[in-house]
Amino acid sequence: METPRIRITVTVNGEAVSEDVPGDRSLLDFLRDDLGLTGTKEGCGEGECGACSVIVGGRLVDACLIFAAEADGRNVETVEGLADGEVLHPLQRAFAAAGAAQCGYCTPGMLMAGKALLDRNPSPTREEAAHGIAGNLCRCTGYGTIIQAVMEAAKES
Amino acid sequence: MRVVGQELPRVEILEKVTGQSVFGADVLPGGRVLAGKMVLSPHPHARITAIRTERAERLPGVKAVVTAADLPAIRYGRFVRDEAYFATTKARYAGDRIAAVAAVDEETAEEAARLIEVDYEVLPSVTSGLEAMAPDAPLLHEDYADYWAQPDLDRRGNVCGHKQIVRGDVERGFAEADRIFEHRFHVPMVHQTYIEPHTATARFDASGKATVWASSLALFPLRAAIAQILRMPMTKVRVIPTEIGGGFGGKLSPTVEPAAVVLARKARRPVRIVMSRSEDFQTTNPRHPFHLRYKTGVKHDGTITAREIEVVLGTGFSAGSGVMISQGAAVRAPGPYRVPNLKIDSYCVYTNTSTCGAYRGPAGPQLAFASESQMDIIARELGIDPVELRLRNAMVDGDETPAGARLEDVHAKETLLKAAEAMNAVPRPPGNNVGRGVAMAHWLVGGMASSAGVKLNEDGTVAILTGLVDLSGASTSLAQIAAEVLGVSLDDVHVRTADTDFAPHSTLSAGSQALKSMGGAVLLAAREAKRQIQQVAADKLEADPGDLELDGNTVFVKGSPERAVTLREVGQMALEHARGPIVSTQSVSQLTPHPAIAAHAAEVEVDPETGRVRILRYVAAQDVGTAVNPLSVRGQIEGGVMQGLGQALSEACTFTDGKMDNANLLDYKIFSALDAPPVEVHLVQHPCASGPLGAKGVGEPPIIPPPAVMANAVYDAVGVRIHDLPITPEKIVKALKAKRAAQR
Ligand code: FES
Ligand code: FES
Repeated sequence: METPRIRITVTVNGEAVSEDVPGDRSLLDFLRDDLGLTGTKEGCGEGECGACSVIVGGRLVDACLIFAAEADGRNVETVEGLADGEVLHPLQRAFAAAGAAQCGYCTPGMLMAGKALLDRNPSPTREEAAHGIAGNLCRCTGYGTIIQAVMEAAKES
Repeated sequence: MRVVGQELPRVEILEKVTGQSVFGADVLPGGRVLAGKMVLSPHPHARITAIRTERAERLPGVKAVVTAADLPAIRYGRFVRDEAYFATTKARYAGDRIAAVAAVDEETAEEAARLIEVDYEVLPSVTSGLEAMAPDAPLLHEDYADYWAQPDLDRRGNVCGHKQIVRGDVERGFAEADRIFEHRFHVPMVHQTYIEPHTATARFDASGKATVWASSLALFPLRAAIAQILRMPMTKVRVIPTEIGGGFGGKLSPTVEPAAVVLARKARRPVRIVMSRSEDFQTTNPRHPFHLRYKTGVKHDGTITAREIEVVLGTGFSAGSGVMISQGAAVRAPGPYRVPNLKIDSYCVYTNTSTCGAYRGPAGPQLAFASESQMDIIARELGIDPVELRLRNAMVDGDETPAGARLEDVHAKETLLKAAEAMNAVPRPPGNNVGRGVAMAHWLVGGMASSAGVKLNEDGTVAILTGLVDLSGASTSLAQIAAEVLGVSLDDVHVRTADTDFAPHSTLSAGSQALKSMGGAVLLAAREAKRQIQQVAADKLEADPGDLELDGNTVFVKGSPERAVTLREVGQMALEHARGPIVSTQSVSQLTPHPAIAAHAAEVEVDPETGRVRILRYVAAQDVGTAVNPLSVRGQIEGGVMQGLGQALSEACTFTDGKMDNANLLDYKIFSALDAPPVEVHLVQHPCASGPLGAKGVGEPPIIPPPAVMANAVYDAVGVRIHDLPITPEKIVKALKAKRAAQR
């Protein structure tokens, strides 16, 4: 009862990869297990926590909810692609400075949510920043420092 | 101080913002890892008459199936030995472990778990602690009297612990009172809901050694538990910490780790078990549900004359740490007040749920909800300002806890005044349904056995070695303490959390005492390393070691900074010097507890139609001693407040027929960024005599007041008092209806 495998080609953080994947493989498992990109986290597997947030074709998605096959032919951005070599992305710098990562488990997803927001709205209000990360749960920070970091990064970029 | 007191980003922050941190599910143990899956009882209480594993074992891809038959027949438990790792004859909650399987992939493991057949005879169950105390309640442990237990627990039936504290004479105290108030409160079970579920990866090598990668807050107790459950010597169990995606007390007790080890042993392959969110909700160690009765006698001027308190804590299917937590609850039940006459009874009771544990500030929010709601009621009845009533009764230096421990460095009044001042600094907005509430609570920060090593490298940099898992920024604070003593910058200090084979014994990351205990050990070790550095440098500088100072990565003669040698030179000289390399490991234990106070105030607006509570402002003042890293301290406070507000307004594990019915993140509602109000944090800083460089524990206090603050603010806004958490819109609407009906 093996699910049939499909050949997909996805551009992950700017690099094209082609793999045979089972049709029902989630994008999250594809990234973590097949590509070894373990920066993206799983917190629920049910689309409720946002720990698995990545950007597909410019849109923020829960990688646990979509099939890898749905990303075929598209651009996928993950936390591993945020920094430019040694140079951190403004969001990463702002998160570090503001204390917006405590345990750090929600952080990769938060960063991608922040990026998706700033990509479409480069200078969000506090309210808009909160909405931008509303689908991402954090149990450590209380969100204040994360919202602050997103706003700081907006100023910088 | 140069480094202590600075706002510094965490030492491990770069890995965290780049996705490089290695969490539980990211570990690569070598070789292909099998997927493990637990088989859990679907019934809250049932006799097990047969377990058949053959069909699962025959499924292609299955590499191991284990049950109680694969483990020595032992029961364990620190206070009562009432827990077996796998159930044998009886399942005591919906989630009790029956078996575990390991297979080539997740899907096969799940399929195998479904193929395990268990015959149950379902028994009546009880999930409320109060109901479990009734004489006709179903008994969870029929043989409880035969179990080994610590003495003086006063066990009977489902009651596995009873602590009574009597001080003064309550009867006389009530006789002296002008008014007596008595109220009952209920606080349901809530869950830590860290974002990373419990995960364990285990490998068993040919020499019979088990290596376990665990997201655990308690490496050494976990090693001890695995050694005990599998009956192995500790030299054969190595626990390696991973980065941990939140714990809040929920990752202190073993859960899936022993199963991963037995599976790995049987399959002779590495095994990883990752809990699903629903398993995590149902089978870990949440906060104890409490039933509380508070009876308080006061004079007309608000002076408390007596308190009689009864606390019933539902511990779950085994005593776990519930006994300790119920004892601690008795000690903190009267709140941060002087109460001359006291009678406190605290009961720890078996229920058909998972074993509750040490969620951040154990017992704190439950007690404060009851005690601080009642203080508010009393203030209103007596016509005294709620802040004033608390100030009149607040404890001060030299007062004793109900257990008789003398308290120093108490800053209750100052902390409360700070919160009140901050709230009053902005006038109340107009509007009918706006209200304000205040509450104050304390936590007692003890200290546990801990050791730490500090060494000077040959290039003058410093390394710290501990077995302390960092959750709240502790590593950064430890580095700051060593940097302060040795006169180097934070960049020159490297902190390493090593595994149980290499690290000296460490305390748990719990109870806000990690920094106090481990900070104390690091401080001693750094001071000893400093003494050694002074010795080596003294020879070279031809000076008295006592005249040497350390700063700016150099050692110099006090008053003549030109007579100096760099730490790098000292590091190299030490190798040629008679005293040898500079290294010190020091230990602490049994530290004097200090109180830490949190006083919060909030302003809310309640919609009387929908019952919705909007938090307009939230102020948190906290007595923190010296804030070693204010950035971490504020982060702890903001995060703690948000968890407390979740418990206040939306969180509760609910049960239908003994089964948790909201075991997912949609139905169990923690705060999102849209619910979260900004938190105004105010630190009260006075160096604490019993903390390293004056620091107090900070993690627990902020989670304690929010439920009471919300109850009091909601009352102030719309005049209804909710005695049963969480304060949901439905309860407010219902109470408002009842109030209107009564007025008619
Ligand atoms: S893991 Fe995808 S939303 Fe939680
Ligand atoms: S930092 Fe821990 S969950 Fe957000």
